[in-house]
Amino acid sequence: MVVLDRIVFYFQTVIQIASDPMNLVILFASVILGIVFGAMPGLTSTLGVALLTAMTYGMGPATAMVCLLAIYVGGTYGGSYSSILINIPGTAASAATALDGYPLACKGEGGRAIGLTTTTSAIGTVISMLFLVSVSPVISYFALQFTSFEFFLLAFFGILISGTLTSPDLVIKGWIAGFLGLFMACVGRDLLQFYPRFTFGFSEMDSGIEVVPVLIGAFGIPQIIQVLKERFQIGEAQKFQRILPEFGTVVRNIPNVVRSALIGVGIGAVPGIGEDIAAWVSYGAAKNMSKHPERFGKGEYAAVLATETANNACVGGAMIPLLNLGIPGSPPAAMLLGALMLHGVTPGPMITFEHPNFIIEVAAILLLASMSMWVVGMLLAKQVVKVLRIPPPLFMPIIGVLCIIGSYSLGINVFNLYLMVPVGIVSYFLTEMGYPIAPLVIGVILGPMADENLRRALMVSQGSFLPIFTRPVSLLLFLIIVWTVVGQFRFFRRFKDRMVNRLLRRKSCESDVEASKPGEELKS
Amino acid sequence: MMEKEKLRKADFFSGIVISLFGAWIVKEAFKMPMKDSWGGVQNVWFVSPALFPLFVGGVIMILGAILSRTAWKNVGRREITRVVGWLLSRNNLEFLCSAPTIRYYAIVTLFLSFVYMNIPRIDFFVGSVLFLSVFITMFYFDDDRILKKLFFFYLGGVAVLLAYFAAGIDSSLESTVPYPSDVLALCFWAAYSLYAWAQVRRSPALRKRYRTGMIIALAAPFIVLPIFKYFLLVPMPTEGLVVALLDKVWYLDF
Repeated sequence: MVVLDRIVFYFQTVIQIASDPMNLVILFASVILGIVFGAMPGLTSTLGVALLTAMTYGMGPATAMVCLLAIYVGGTYGGSYSSILINIPGTAASAATALDGYPLACKGEGGRAIGLTTTTSAIGTVISMLFLVSVSPVISYFALQFTSFEFFLLAFFGILISGTLTSPDLVIKGWIAGFLGLFMACVGRDLLQFYPRFTFGFSEMDSGIEVVPVLIGAFGIPQIIQVLKERFQIGEAQKFQRILPEFGTVVRNIPNVVRSALIGVGIGAVPGIGEDIAAWVSYGAAKNMSKHPERFGKGEYAAVLATETANNACVGGAMIPLLNLGIPGSPPAAMLLGALMLHGVTPGPMITFEHPNFIIEVAAILLLASMSMWVVGMLLAKQVVKVLRIPPPLFMPIIGVLCIIGSYSLGINVFNLYLMVPVGIVSYFLTEMGYPIAPLVIGVILGPMADENLRRALMVSQGSFLPIFTRPVSLLLFLIIVWTVVGQFRFFRRFKDRMVNRLLRRKSCESDVEASKPGEELKS
Repeated sequence: MMEKEKLRKADFFSGIVISLFGAWIVKEAFKMPMKDSWGGVQNVWFVSPALFPLFVGGVIMILGAILSRTAWKNVGRREITRVVGWLLSRNNLEFLCSAPTIRYYAIVTLFLSFVYMNIPRIDFFVGSVLFLSVFITMFYFDDDRILKKLFFFYLGGVAVLLAYFAAGIDSSLESTVPYPSDVLALCFWAAYSLYAWAQVRRSPALRKRYRTGMIIALAAPFIVLPIFKYFLLVPMPTEGLVVALLDKVWYLDF
């Protein structure tokens, strides 16, 4: 009965949001803006969400979420346009799409490919939304049993795993980025004793480093510098014909769609891991499972379908840890966390008590965002593609002004700008040297949670670390952390390989012995 | 991102910097109350505000050292010595004066001058128009020779504005002339626009780009900023000449 009530309430919420003309205008405008941000090489959905957060300042939390989730969904999907038509991924999430999307466009099948990505992106978002609704109560229930030690270890795990999986070079660089983020979170008065840490006497720093200017600086400024410094040029877009929904291709590939969506949800739910990894993993899985893996890379519809389903499924997946644990599942989700806090909604296990209908509302918005994305994709793709003709030196400076006014307007504080610019310049150097930015941002966000919970836990245990080993979830998290860290060292890998080889050898010896005793079976 | 070999060399130095940074965090954390009383509360180590920074600083220090060691093992002493030699040689100067590096300087200078000098002192609309005009024209012409000239012209203007603000002339003029800083910034913008026009006037293609760039630089702030100012009710960081005029138009205050 409770489940039925929830389903009825869900559809009521969908109708309620959709029946407000203002919401619909915001929804479609944000989706279009998201597609533009995703399609333009050099702009990302994270930056789109970051810049639009400032515009939601005067809105209610639900309307703000309509705006931000729509741009997130649109931005993730929009990257496929430039991947397919000019072979330059609009976002990292659509890099895998370019492998097969562009050859399709070269064959004159760009319209079909865009139609397919539009439909599969919408399906991916809807499947992830279903997971969000169904998994959230379970995670929320378990999260309520967590104590401070678990929250500390969870935050720590989030930073480590994000550093491990997002690092484009050495894993250790990802961890360093995460810990630099944790250091930034230390700045300001500490939450338990209000002692000023690393404030250098600036009263503006007493409240700590604001997350939104750090996010805008870390994602926006390096992007501007990279695009303009390297004289990034957008190529000529391939021409394409009519865009059709391609339902037939989707139906023929249902197992591929479901598998890709599951990969997307799973990877999205891992803290700090973005849509790009989901798309690549899904591409690999689709290739491995395909009857014709040799066609991959030459214009295979199953590949385009897999990557686009997975990267959009990541959106809902990233919402699961964000809403239930307060841990962002992806960089745009980190931005959403900042926006939610701005609107007085604190994600975490208590969200089901403080805002009982919020998760249902988010799910309803995701459904509406995917529907509007599909409509916009089918009807306006040709018009949206025209933005690819705008040269980067014309739009990048405007993005610079938007970064500045966006950072300033959140808190109406010029000091945010003084912080944003150095963060941006340092982030640029870090990016150039192969340090990922996502763990840094996750570190800034999870830092206060880690700090507060570590000290609170030690206060309760009177300075003893023993509860980590006596509580099952703590112990599990601790072991995963140890495994993640130790697993990166060569000595451990060598030890692991040796153990695996020994086990395999023993098994093969046993089977040899059994094979060499044919008479025994007859005897028995 | 750099090539792998270059990355490893850079890792050696970045690892040292990061390790030193971690050591500084630890040093600063030791200044925080560990067992003494703070705000009437007797501290114990596990409640101390130093606990988390100590942990973070310590880990950063170790990770930086591991990174340096890994890089050292990968590239060897000879390569590191060669990099140090390059850093101290004239070739480094060539790198610092190369076209991509100048483009980098131009972007960073634009951001720094806009945020630290113009935003707190000049009307935000005027500042934005100046920022966009310079930014767009420098890069949209896609010519490193022109970019260099425009960049040095802009640097000259920034130096004048800096001297003007540092000498406190703005505050002494404010009592006699309305919005003196905004007027000076507008003069700078006009001079820059003329100088940029002079650079491209002989090329029809660049003239077209100049016109497009200038139209966008003028139009964008007047589309974006009123949304924040009048719809989201966000006061601009500095409101001067143009905001006063816009207020008069918006509120029909004639």
